Amino acid sequence: MSTTLEALINRPYEYGFVTDIESDAIPKGLSEDVVRLISKKKNEPDWLLEFRLSAYRHWLTMTEPVWANVSHAKIDYQNIIYYSAPKPKKKLASMDEVDPELLRTFEKLGVPMHERKMLANVAVDVIFDSVSVTTTYKEKLAEVGIIFCSFSEAVQHHPDLVKQYLGSVVPSADNFFAALNSAVFTDGSFCYIPKNTKCPMDLSTYFRINNAESGQFERTLIIAEEGSHVSYLEGCTAPRFDTNQLHAAVVELVVLDNAEIKYSTVQNWYAGDENGVGGIYNFVTKRGLCKGVNSKISWTQVETGSAITWKYPSCVLLGDNSIGEFYSVALTNHHQQADTGTKMIHIGKNTRSRIVSKGISAGQSNNSYRGLVKVGAKADGARNYSQCDSMLIGSVCGAHTFPYIEVMNSTAKVEHEASTSRIGEDQMFYFASRGIGGEEAVSMIINGFCKEVFNHLPMEFAVEATKLLGLKLEGSVG
Amino acid sequence: MSAAMKAPDVRDEYLASLAPDANLLAGPGPDWLNALRAEAATCVNSLPYPTTHDEEWRFTDFGLLRKTVFASAADISPEVSLADIAPFILPESEKSRLVFVNGIYAPHLSACAGLPQGVVMSNLAAGLSSHDAVIRAHLAQQLDFHNEAFAALNTCHIRDGALVLIAKDTVCPAPIHLLFIATGDDAQGCASVGRLQHPASGDTRASMHVAGGRMPGATAQQASYPRCLVIAEAGSTCALIEDYVCLNQGVYFTDAVCEITLGENAAVEHTRLQRESPSAFHMAYGAVALARGSNYTAHNIAFGARISRHDLRITQNGEAAQCTLNGLALISGRQIADTHTVMDHAKPNGQSTQLHKCIADGGAHAVFNGKIFVRKDAQHTHAAQQSRNLLLSNKARIDTKPQLEIFADDVKCAHGATVSQLETEEMFYLNSRGLSPLTARNLLIYAFAEEIVDRIPVTSLIKQLSKTLSEQILEHT
Repeated sequence: MSTTLEALINRPYEYGFVTDIESDAIPKGLSEDVVRLISKKKNEPDWLLEFRLSAYRHWLTMTEPVWANVSHAKIDYQNIIYYSAPKPKKKLASMDEVDPELLRTFEKLGVPMHERKMLANVAVDVIFDSVSVTTTYKEKLAEVGIIFCSFSEAVQHHPDLVKQYLGSVVPSADNFFAALNSAVFTDGSFCYIPKNTKCPMDLSTYFRINNAESGQFERTLIIAEEGSHVSYLEGCTAPRFDTNQLHAAVVELVVLDNAEIKYSTVQNWYAGDENGVGGIYNFVTKRGLCKGVNSKISWTQVETGSAITWKYPSCVLLGDNSIGEFYSVALTNHHQQADTGTKMIHIGKNTRSRIVSKGISAGQSNNSYRGLVKVGAKADGARNYSQCDSMLIGSVCGAHTFPYIEVMNSTAKVEHEASTSRIGEDQMFYFASRGIGGEEAVSMIINGFCKEVFNHLPMEFAVEATKLLGLKLEGSVG
Repeated sequence: MSAAMKAPDVRDEYLASLAPDANLLAGPGPDWLNALRAEAATCVNSLPYPTTHDEEWRFTDFGLLRKTVFASAADISPEVSLADIAPFILPESEKSRLVFVNGIYAPHLSACAGLPQGVVMSNLAAGLSSHDAVIRAHLAQQLDFHNEAFAALNTCHIRDGALVLIAKDTVCPAPIHLLFIATGDDAQGCASVGRLQHPASGDTRASMHVAGGRMPGATAQQASYPRCLVIAEAGSTCALIEDYVCLNQGVYFTDAVCEITLGENAAVEHTRLQRESPSAFHMAYGAVALARGSNYTAHNIAFGARISRHDLRITQNGEAAQCTLNGLALISGRQIADTHTVMDHAKPNGQSTQLHKCIADGGAHAVFNGKIFVRKDAQHTHAAQQSRNLLLSNKARIDTKPQLEIFADDVKCAHGATVSQLETEEMFYLNSRGLSPLTARNLLIYAFAEEIVDRIPVTSLIKQLSKTLSEQILEHT
């Protein structure tokens, strides 16, 4: 049972995707001409082309970072196609045509029926019309003045907003991968919440037609004006397969006075096979700026996929009394490597941050938590609490903790604690003696371990995430 | 990781200027020692000078050292009398004391009579004639100097040092006091040996900061290279005090290395005191190897030096070894104190407990980096680490990085770090009982530091340090 499922999780999904994408792709490689071509194809204004070009020129002077606790073969940046038009998909007529094993995965995860169809790329018009649903949602959002669209649309229709905020949190020269993204990003999402508006629903990538294939170099920009509130969901629990090996996304959040952004991610990209062959390199720069007073950013992430994850959702706490939160579950199995964590940069007075990180390593994987808590000289009354727990399953995996704490203010209070634990034979025996099978027992233990993080996920996500972790770990214990 | 990234053959002129000349390299001692010194000198010439761009040196800028010219102080033999060192003498170690002046053995200040059979306390230079094989087997074996410029620098300067051998199943009755005295820039003038030939000068302070690094005409300050080699054979027990002091306030450089080997079931309690002059530079490496069932306890106290750094690496090479590490850094003014520890659990059933405290006042900067490795085979390891930091001024800074790297699943590991100021509740409590805010503050700081000092096994030393503690706290207020 478990071996079948494992194979299922890790196998490339070969149904439904059309591989022939040569039609509207530009040649491999990166040069100034390619950057210009991307900009031209997207019909971008001159300032954006300049933004791309300056990022590209800076990127040329940078070297790939080597400090992360991961190892991989050198990436050939000239062997990547930097632009291809959205891939056309062959629609399947009904659920009967879908690979039965994928359906079983959905069953296990408890993915709602209509979503299953969308994820399996079945035309959903019959029961649940995605287009009309999307339209309804869009109308509802427009009523309260919320802009939620693809990045390309935003560039065309709201250039002033994009120009004002693009690169204001993650400058184009911030780091190697952010510079690369700034030069060649093709699309992403844009979200603007006007003053004193509470977004009536969780914004999710599920309900966007234009952005089903977000691409390799995704760019997200979310702006929460004074007094506004939004909850944004990214990714999904179902396995997602992609031919692009390198993913370098940039996410920027800007929060003004008394506003709040809650950003949740569930990532389950292709992790490579059990021998560590293939899989996606997920090198992401995510950063939020708490610009106004009493502003708040809350990051929640469940990272279970990708061969290599290199991701540090950060909060720059600039406004007085601003709050940053980071809740993370990172699971690695087989040969996966994850180096993830957060940065909390306290600049304003009475700023608070909280970090809860749960790392689970199984198989031959390596899981690292790398965090920075920095309290500037003027951040009077800053407060941080960090907790990072690791769980090891099996004796050939590794768990690493690299917490950096830098304090320059004597009124600051910073606490950090970390622990490790395992799923022991004694625990499994306890469950078994009470008639609970191995699979369920693991799921329950993991669920308890991650509860603090799952509590911060929107409900449907939390339910799926719990099952997802159990599924990913099947066959690892006992 | 960072070592692998360093480009080879980056000859650093400053480091090279500190290395001894060929005469000294091929100087006293047997051939193998000459070869060791030559090898270390090659490393000194090929390793880059550590900067804040190196991960391991990110927070500690030793750039100031570069601006000062140093020459080995080993060949100046200043007149130091017993009266001069009286404040540092410990009654418990009245008959088990080795004194080194600028890294060179001073027999007239030392006392090692009446030690039981099986305890050898001597200087390395003398020990080479009687214990050549043991020294050869252990010297520079625990500490790998190939990637550490300053450890290599010490190694290429080896001429003398402390040698402590505790034979099998021997219990050393008295604590062994290894007193390293730096004379600083007293009336003796400064070093006039080494590669830089400079006339002795009365006023050396003027040349403290030489613009643009090494300047041929500048007056050299004293540099000393103390070395300790301690071997506790199976079943033996000893207490050790490694003590760095100075006689004069002044700029000088201490580059020390201490290697300790514990045999099966041996127990060593090691107190390390760094009370150098407030303008001195102190760089020290410690390497401890533990065999099966052995027990190592360390108390590392740092009060002095303008910039100090202590790198301690402990490796549990045998099963069921136990370690306790206590640390305290109390600094103020513009002092920088950096402690890097590596606790390497390589074998199963090991234990380690670490508590490191930093108190930073004024514009001081305290750094702590504690790594705990639990290797693949080291199942049932129990490791706990705590970093507690007290930040007393808005200009002071604390950087702490407790790091865990675990490769075994059946282990118990935890670490915690806190950075905070004095609790207002505690202050209020003391104020409500009639203590002035200042007295209350000093009392709380004292109590915070005393927790570590109290763990030292030598009563007279606790008294000495408690006095220093209260003086230092008072001085800062």
